[in-house]
Amino acid sequence: MVKKNIAEAIRNALDIMLSEDERVLVFGEDVGKKGGVFTVTEGLQEKYGEQRVFDTPLDENGILGMAKGLALYGLRPVAEIQFVDFIWPGFDVIMSDISKERFRSGGQFSCPLVIRAPYGGGVRGGLYHSQSPEAIFAHIPGLKIVIPSNPYDAKGLLISAIEDEDPIIFLEPKKIYFAFREEIPEEKYFVPIGKAKILKEGKDITLISYGYMIHECKKAIEELEKEGISCELVDLRTITPFDGETILNSVAKTGKVIIVVEAPKINSFASELSAFISERAIYYIDAPILRVTGWDTPFPYILEHLYLPSYKRIILKAKKILEV
Amino acid sequence: MEIKPFGSEPFRVIDEEGKPLFDLNLKEYGINTEILLKMYKDIVLTREIDKLGWILVRQGKAYFYISIGGHETAHVASLYALEKEDYVMPYYRTVPSLHVRGVKVEEIFSQILGKYTDPLKGRQMPGHFGKKELNIFVPGSPVGLGHNVAMGVAMGIKYKNHKRVIISYGGEGSTSQPHFHSAMNFASVFKLPLIIFIIDNHYAISVPRTKQTASETIAIKAKAYCMEGYLVDGNDAIATYIVTKKCVNEVRENSKPILIEAYTYRYDPHSSADDDRKYRKKEEIQEWKKKDGLLRLKKYLEYLSLWDEEKDLMLKKEIEEKLNNILEEVEKKHLPIYKDMFYEVYVNTPWYLEEEYMELKREMEG
Repeated sequence: MVKKNIAEAIRNALDIMLSEDERVLVFGEDVGKKGGVFTVTEGLQEKYGEQRVFDTPLDENGILGMAKGLALYGLRPVAEIQFVDFIWPGFDVIMSDISKERFRSGGQFSCPLVIRAPYGGGVRGGLYHSQSPEAIFAHIPGLKIVIPSNPYDAKGLLISAIEDEDPIIFLEPKKIYFAFREEIPEEKYFVPIGKAKILKEGKDITLISYGYMIHECKKAIEELEKEGISCELVDLRTITPFDGETILNSVAKTGKVIIVVEAPKINSFASELSAFISERAIYYIDAPILRVTGWDTPFPYILEHLYLPSYKRIILKAKKILEV
Repeated sequence: MEIKPFGSEPFRVIDEEGKPLFDLNLKEYGINTEILLKMYKDIVLTREIDKLGWILVRQGKAYFYISIGGHETAHVASLYALEKEDYVMPYYRTVPSLHVRGVKVEEIFSQILGKYTDPLKGRQMPGHFGKKELNIFVPGSPVGLGHNVAMGVAMGIKYKNHKRVIISYGGEGSTSQPHFHSAMNFASVFKLPLIIFIIDNHYAISVPRTKQTASETIAIKAKAYCMEGYLVDGNDAIATYIVTKKCVNEVRENSKPILIEAYTYRYDPHSSADDDRKYRKKEEIQEWKKKDGLLRLKKYLEYLSLWDEEKDLMLKKEIEEKLNNILEEVEKKHLPIYKDMFYEVYVNTPWYLEEEYMELKREMEG
């Protein structure tokens, strides 16, 4: 076992996959000599050479076109988009090409690739270094969206993603890249894609979340426990295809659900989960399904602490749901 | 004859009457009688497939058609310059010419009609076709995307040290897309074995070439990327073949990208959903038809005493019969089954797609 934070755990996963699979190529803006703006790819170019780990021109469209073509040619590209906020010049490649390849070719071709990108707020990054667009990608059939909340999952999920036969958008919660270290195995291991995890069992309320918001949920749960309120925490880990079974089992147990995401509320993935639960489990729930989200504004700069859902906002909702 | 990049006039070998413009030693370019005749027959076959594509729409048997009429020569002659192990990124107009690469005519018709015999299982509109085992990728409808993805394939070829080339087709409209820039920029920075082959047919649906770019030629855009750009008469089969062959050889040897612009013209509306009377005159089409690539090659073959009217009638009759027979068979095939709609979205079908399939099943059976 070794102690690693999320950034180190991701680097560790890339290192393992680069060393054991010659098809794996890591590229993007500043991933080479600099090792990425968040140091995730630090030392990898030195170790594996410029053929395997390289910088590209400053063009997300080209990065994603390159990733798609490499995947078609049988390689395993891991493309880094410096901030997910900058992915949009390449959105056409994702929306029109990558996601549809298997389907539109009648299963002749597939597109196994990973697009890694830091996402989310909390680092005073303003409008364009803070957003959480997972729901936009979740609306596209053919893509898988993965978001870890801790070093163990970050490593295991990324390894699974690189070995997966489908295209995966791997969103990394940048606020907690370096927030804490935990013990993880040194060797290769998998965390399955499509499986949520119960981080904490409880009986009164189910909290469903992912990414950095998991940690605000944990804080809220601690506070609520002091008042004798017991929460179950579901870490979704995979946004699509999401683990409906784990969600329903938890909801059936507690009868109350709060979904916590940092994206704007309207059409967020919290909305999809809320609809899913109301369609399937209406007889198990005895209170409205609540969403705790960012506001429906662009992401603010100076006031980001008031934009992002905090444990306080979660506690208020928890108390509200218990009043019903 | 030295072929130079960045010519202000398209490179030509035979004139509109099928006469060589200079003392032409075909052997120098690896062209023999057999290749010439085969190429001509393939151009004729392409045009006949295209005619049937339109007929299928008019008969109400196909929902849509997008044609290659007028560009057959540019496509066929450039495809001839490739080796079997090379790769093709077609765009929607390329498809009726893909029999040159070994695609069966059955499959082309199956795709137009969306039958289960379509390798794409009826999932895309006509004109969006690819075949993995023949190294032909599947294009989508968004213009220019193929160039960007072909660039990535070229990166793969280079990484694996394969001596292969990928050719990516697109209209002149595709050069206005960011994908064209991304492909040119990355391919030149990384020195990738990519040929971007622009079928410059002077219209992107209704928008004329003059409104597409202020550049004198498309080919000249290559200069800014430190690439070579060739302008060739796409209605001159020999010139197109010679230029493409030279580029393919150089790209294969030196791993570098090249841009080719083939001057040609679209005879038909953009697609079966377009009415071209709104934006161009009949006379303009007639003018271009005088420069038709198929006719020019035919005249050249006659000039070489390799071909005559009688042989031509025989060939057309033979092709027509063959195509009609194939089409008759294809029309009998059934459509894709609805269960297929839910598969191949992912490698393993997620639970919710299984459920959605069951929902449709109940709807169908209810």
